[in-house]
Amino acid sequence: MIRFWLEKNWVQNAVLFTLAALMVYYWGWVFDFGYKFEWSMLYTVNETYQINLGYEILRGLWVTVKITAVSAAIGLVLGTALGLSRLSDFKPLRYTATCIIEFFRNTPLLVVLFFFYFALPRALPDTLREWVFSMQFEFWTAAVAVGMYTSAFMAEVIRAGLQSIPKGILEASYSSGLSYVQVLRTIILPLAFREIIPPLGSEFLNNMKNTSLAMFVGVADMTWQAQQAEALTFKGFEATTAASVMYLSFSLIISFVLNGVNSRLRTVGNTGTSVPALFVNALCWPFGTASRLLLNPVGRFLRARKRRQAASTYLSSTRAAWLATLRRGRQALILASKAAFLAFLAACLYTVVKGVLGFDWAVVAREFSNLILWQFPNEVADPFLGLGGFALSFIIAVVAIAASFVIGLLVGLGRCSTNRIFRIPSLLYIEIIRGNPLIIVIYWVYFLIPVLFNTFFNTVWSASIALTLFTAAYLAEIVRSGIQNIPPGQVEAATASGLSYWQTMRKIILPQALKQMIPPIVGLFIAIFKDTSLVSILGVMELTSVAKAVDNRLMVNSMEIWTLAALLYFVPCFFMSKYADALERRLSPEKVNLKM
Amino acid sequence: MRIGRIIALALAITMVASAAFAGPVYDRIMQEKKIRIGIMTDSIPGAFFDEKGEWTGFDYDISTELAKRMGVELERVKVNNKTRIAFIQQNRIDVSVANMTHTRERDKSIDFSITYFFDGQKVLAKKGAFASLEDMKDKKIATMQGTTSEINIKNALKALGVANPDANVISFQKESECFQALEMGRVAGWTTDATILLGYAAKKPGEFELVGDFLSDEPYGMGLPQDDSALRDAVNFALQDMWLDGTYMAIYNKWYGPETPYAMPMTDQIEIWP
Repeated sequence: MIRFWLEKNWVQNAVLFTLAALMVYYWGWVFDFGYKFEWSMLYTVNETYQINLGYEILRGLWVTVKITAVSAAIGLVLGTALGLSRLSDFKPLRYTATCIIEFFRNTPLLVVLFFFYFALPRALPDTLREWVFSMQFEFWTAAVAVGMYTSAFMAEVIRAGLQSIPKGILEASYSSGLSYVQVLRTIILPLAFREIIPPLGSEFLNNMKNTSLAMFVGVADMTWQAQQAEALTFKGFEATTAASVMYLSFSLIISFVLNGVNSRLRTVGNTGTSVPALFVNALCWPFGTASRLLLNPVGRFLRARKRRQAASTYLSSTRAAWLATLRRGRQALILASKAAFLAFLAACLYTVVKGVLGFDWAVVAREFSNLILWQFPNEVADPFLGLGGFALSFIIAVVAIAASFVIGLLVGLGRCSTNRIFRIPSLLYIEIIRGNPLIIVIYWVYFLIPVLFNTFFNTVWSASIALTLFTAAYLAEIVRSGIQNIPPGQVEAATASGLSYWQTMRKIILPQALKQMIPPIVGLFIAIFKDTSLVSILGVMELTSVAKAVDNRLMVNSMEIWTLAALLYFVPCFFMSKYADALERRLSPEKVNLKM
Repeated sequence: MRIGRIIALALAITMVASAAFAGPVYDRIMQEKKIRIGIMTDSIPGAFFDEKGEWTGFDYDISTELAKRMGVELERVKVNNKTRIAFIQQNRIDVSVANMTHTRERDKSIDFSITYFFDGQKVLAKKGAFASLEDMKDKKIATMQGTTSEINIKNALKALGVANPDANVISFQKESECFQALEMGRVAGWTTDATILLGYAAKKPGEFELVGDFLSDEPYGMGLPQDDSALRDAVNFALQDMWLDGTYMAIYNKWYGPETPYAMPMTDQIEIWP
């Protein structure tokens, strides 16, 4: 009876509408927040400070847009270079690329950012440092650090895309006489980019959200401005809402554009008819026209000349000699650049080794236990017994992983459901959380729980809840893709043999889907462990906070402390990612490393 | 209906939770014989972790004394410049003793005790580099986000004729970050309350100095929940008693006395009610 009605679309819509109306009614009129909302702070001039805080937040948005654009460009270019380098025949280049990628993938962005801002300038010579400081140092540090961080993730996506190109196509193009650069330009990159636009799109979104960390080095981006508004007026709820709405809109715009690019590049199916595709086409039109009018004739002329030269079999002896020298010169150039690269690598290694040998190892030994445990004698009523540092990061990560798994599974199932009552709330949850940076979600939990429920948690729990909610949204998407990868015939067969929905899920779909999901889930767990560094904003004494506190007390050993902290993040993450790789190989043995 | 029952249960829990946290804070403190005080963790010598990893400092000692005088057990809660006011608003702590200047804007959200510490803001710079703030006009200056010093320095720069003070001020999240920026030369000066600056400068004796005049008066008050006059009275009386019987000066001299690295002469006296 109930099922019969629930299958009707209008019933589903009505239920959803009623639920929404009830929620609006309850929180709008019945519930007493014990909190005075002052939405006017977002559009009026504050009397005390004589500034319009809403306008300041908009200015922050502009900074966020700028950092996002610059870091996305850096990420894409560097990511492509790193992705290609990882497939190179020249071993030192390949290993360097691998090291860079592994470093950035397994160290929290916050730690990277602190390293770039506080540690790196000290290593520069005075004049260079002066010059660097005279530029917009904060902005560029943030943009470069976020961009490099993004590039490591993009490199892996791009590598996967490159490796997905059928080997036959490459062999065919090489045997038809194209050079490596030509193959790269006309075959590999176009094909690979078409393949990797969807995963690359999510990296662009992550990149945008990662820029929210720029505020830690004093860049007045949107998160910074929202915080500023909160600090000046103590109206955190309103300020966070404003920032959240803007981040959501920004990610929607990015997804919209990427959708357009995707359908423009796609060669099969209906291309170029959707709204995003039309928008991107309109955006590209001036460039396309300019290229047709200006560059095409030039290209045609050059190509024609080249064809004429190739057609004439006669080669004068001077020209032949000239060509031979040119070829030799090119080979010498390649050799020289390889040698230069090796020399550069050696210089870097030498500096690093010299730096590490110069460490004050006594400090490292003394503070190591602090960074791991941080037992704190005066602590009263702490559910974590004064644990801090690495141990607390680990506890938070484990709590978030365990809790988010259940939520993520349920929301993921809801997202796949055909019933709107489950699908639309799940979709909203996933999109809202994924459209916001983690730091905004942390603020949300921090401000919302006390306002909504008139109670509060220990900041550690508050942080764990935020991380759980954040992770669950990503996990739900992994679950969804896992389930959708199962051939629909299996569901039909299960239904036909009389299994109920839950039986089908529990016995047929989930066991298979979960197996496929293991590698991305391990990847997600690495991300959570790294993301625990962000809860230091609430004053939770996890690894990053402890590193700051210790650094703050010693003051002269920043390099030692931050290297140690980075290592403490890196080692577990690295082993987890190696484990994920091994799992992936075991679960899909057909994937073999293809030479380019 | 199972869902209906779950919703009803959730609503009931919410309402019970709201009831449990209502009521005057003072009564709760006296009933439970426990006061929760928010203290900073990285403000030297206000409240910080020392070499042994123990919490200590001027604010720390004052809080201990306050709890003793109120005859209740002390629960110390870590706060920072971001959480110290929010925690009072959300009833997570009863008092915040955390380098907090009493301002009118803040008084809209929480209440304050009488001034328990007299401070003012100055600028810290490398020794011998600058004579006054005027010399630093076109240089960068560091400060902490969400503090009064950020507003004061911008106003001071504006008064000196700087067109766009925002571009000259870099705001960090922590004091230690400001100090590091100053140390590596990213900024020419760092402004905040003079005691905090002295605390950091003492880490590297002879390298840094305070520049120019005080930019502002910073009367520190203890943050208290809004509209709880019983608690406000108890705290104010305890402070005045501390001053009258000399305990206050003993604690002050322990941290800011002439022999300490943070030497700062006492210039004022706590407001005493007859």
